[in-house]
Amino acid sequence: MSHQSGHPPLKMGVDIPNGKLGMWLFLGTEIMFFTAFIGSYIVLRIGSPGWPENAETTHIRIWAGGTNTFVLICSSVAVVFALEGMRNKNFDAARKWLFVTLMLAFVFLGIKAFEYYGKFEHNILPGRIPETDAQALNFTGRDLMAATGIVDATEKLKQLESQMADLQKQGRNADALQKQIEEQQKVVEAKTPAANAARAVNDRIKAGTIALGLKHEHGEGEAATETEHAKPTAAGPTLVEEVERLHKEFPDVFGSVHVPHPIKFGNLFASCYFIMTGFHALHVLVGMALFIILLGLGSKLSSQHELFVENSGLYWHFVDLVWIFLFPLIYII
Amino acid sequence: MTEEHHDHPHVNYWRIFGYLCIFTVASVIADVMDIRRLYNLTALAAVVLLIACFKASYVMRYFMHLKFEGGWKYIILLPTTVLALAIPFALASDIGIHYYDVDVPQQNTLLEKEMQAADESADHDQHDHDHDAAEDGGGH
Repeated sequence: MSHQSGHPPLKMGVDIPNGKLGMWLFLGTEIMFFTAFIGSYIVLRIGSPGWPENAETTHIRIWAGGTNTFVLICSSVAVVFALEGMRNKNFDAARKWLFVTLMLAFVFLGIKAFEYYGKFEHNILPGRIPETDAQALNFTGRDLMAATGIVDATEKLKQLESQMADLQKQGRNADALQKQIEEQQKVVEAKTPAANAARAVNDRIKAGTIALGLKHEHGEGEAATETEHAKPTAAGPTLVEEVERLHKEFPDVFGSVHVPHPIKFGNLFASCYFIMTGFHALHVLVGMALFIILLGLGSKLSSQHELFVENSGLYWHFVDLVWIFLFPLIYII
Repeated sequence: MTEEHHDHPHVNYWRIFGYLCIFTVASVIADVMDIRRLYNLTALAAVVLLIACFKASYVMRYFMHLKFEGGWKYIILLPTTVLALAIPFALASDIGIHYYDVDVPQQNTLLEKEMQAADESADHDQHDHDHDAAEDGGGH
């Protein structure tokens, strides 16, 4: 290229490093990726009257979301100072700020993990939430039967018996098997009283002669539904009362069974919640990997890594940006 | 522009950080004030999403240095924004805006299943009775 003419050299393309252009193009695709989820969520939300909004039912805690917003903003500032450090050739400062960013990312994930734990604890999971009273009845009935373990025990007994029949047909010694069968029979017998109790409840559920009997513990707006729920659709104890009785009679067997609150659109809510926050958390993990790589360089961190730090920073700011929108959408609205 | 880019404009990042914190607190206050009760959900959504847009613009302009970048930023960001908005708009006409009755097919299916199961168990009982009767009558 000739410079004699005094004109600046002709340069094609965009006036930024290729790596940075690549990062921005990638972030462009990321914008579309996240807006697909966020957009679908907004549309589903608008299209579902009665969407769960009460923090008591959804276990969405605004303090957790707010703290995480603050943590991510702090980490965004930290990563900006890391880049400043790189540009001023102050690599110790850069390392320090990168470390701060990484620690804040851990804090973010810690709070996120605590929230997820709460969701799992209360069974706020896609496909696990009863949306109507009938579903709550059926779920509880199924849980009661599953808690007894009677089905598996009888199945095993049947298998042993058929094995026994085979052996006897072949005319072989079956004493050992006989002993096993007797033991299994004892197991089944031990489970039978609880199983019968569970069956009795299940029969009432199937016959439709049992009411759910859940009291709503929150919200004046739901006073109307409360009376509706409290009104017995059938005579006799409600499911809640029955489960309480079973808890007392067979604490070991039914201790873990609880009557779930029906949440209308709860499954859709849980799907949206987990897909948005889950993919965001995955992005946080990727960002952390980038910072760990940079910190792993130790004192080898130098000017040649400036672009790496800048790109990691851009990526990290994007993660922050997504959260800036997720926070009001999930935690406030 | 080139000069600006290479000289790395100086931004007071703590000031931006302060703005972002104020905006975050503002959206929490909007939640605590219960704009939902005072006005309605749309008002609350408008307020907090507007705040989010302000926050996003500060992060993009100063932390991501977009304010100091060249015209290429529009080439990359405008088409993606248009495409990103296309999804909610495309879906909204069907799912978001009900020009027909609100109907949840998934719940209807469940109801049908329950009714079917109830019918079957009723049939079954009927069958059992027939069966008993047949046996009483001397075999089958």
